[in-house]
Amino acid sequence: MTNQNISLVKVRNTLLVTMPADPDDVTVTTLQEEVLGAMEEYRPKGLVLDISAVETLDSFFARTITETSRMVTMMGGQTVIAGMRPSVAITATQLGLTMVGTFTALTVDRALDLLTHPHPRRRIR
Amino acid sequence: MSDLARGNIPIKSENDIVAARRVVRDLATQLCFGVTDVTRVITAASELARNVFLYVGAGVMWWSILDQCGEVGLELTFEDHGAGIPDVEQAMTPGYSTSRGLGLGLPGVKRLMDEMEIHTEVGKGTTVRVRKWLRK
Repeated sequence: MTNQNISLVKVRNTLLVTMPADPDDVTVTTLQEEVLGAMEEYRPKGLVLDISAVETLDSFFARTITETSRMVTMMGGQTVIAGMRPSVAITATQLGLTMVGTFTALTVDRALDLLTHPHPRRRIR
Repeated sequence: MSDLARGNIPIKSENDIVAARRVVRDLATQLCFGVTDVTRVITAASELARNVFLYVGAGVMWWSILDQCGEVGLELTFEDHGAGIPDVEQAMTPGYSTSRGLGLGLPGVKRLMDEMEIHTEVGKGTTVRVRKWLRK
């Protein structure tokens, strides 16, 4: 397979994770382990998951994101999903994905705002 | 209805799910589907390919480009020789799942595509056929 690197960068108090355009299942599973490991290592306050490059969000990927977000919450951090494309949002909703409990932001910039000033909350219920 | 082109790709591993997605992406893009429809078709293919891999372990995705009196469409057929679906009606109920999935596979896929047919026989296997027509 082509290399599908997840980029993990700590910016001040936030862990910024960027997903590749079309991640395979192994890459998606790796996301969970790498993110939780980095949470322990870098001790950020929050996690921004940038999915602006992602072209296909299927139920497996969505479930992994929702689960990871829940795990990060358990560890004491907060996750914001940033940059979902319109076509992905339409498809995810029609497919029936809800991603309950996750915070979302239009851009990484807004996600950082949300983590710095956590009101008003934008949690999908 | 005639086929302009057709082909297949085996689904035997998790990597084949990605391979199936790429084939579908290329086909849908070549047919000039809009960006949202491309995403819909790829996502539907991803769900159906994962079903084959998850429930049966091996199968095939057949693809063909359709031409029905000038109407162009993409047809994907997922075929496996697994245990079959005992209760198709139940499998089409939103929220129902027998695997570690989300239970929104088949009903969700139906909403993403224009047409969907399921042929299943217990002990022999399942064929799921979906179609998306190019909107002019």
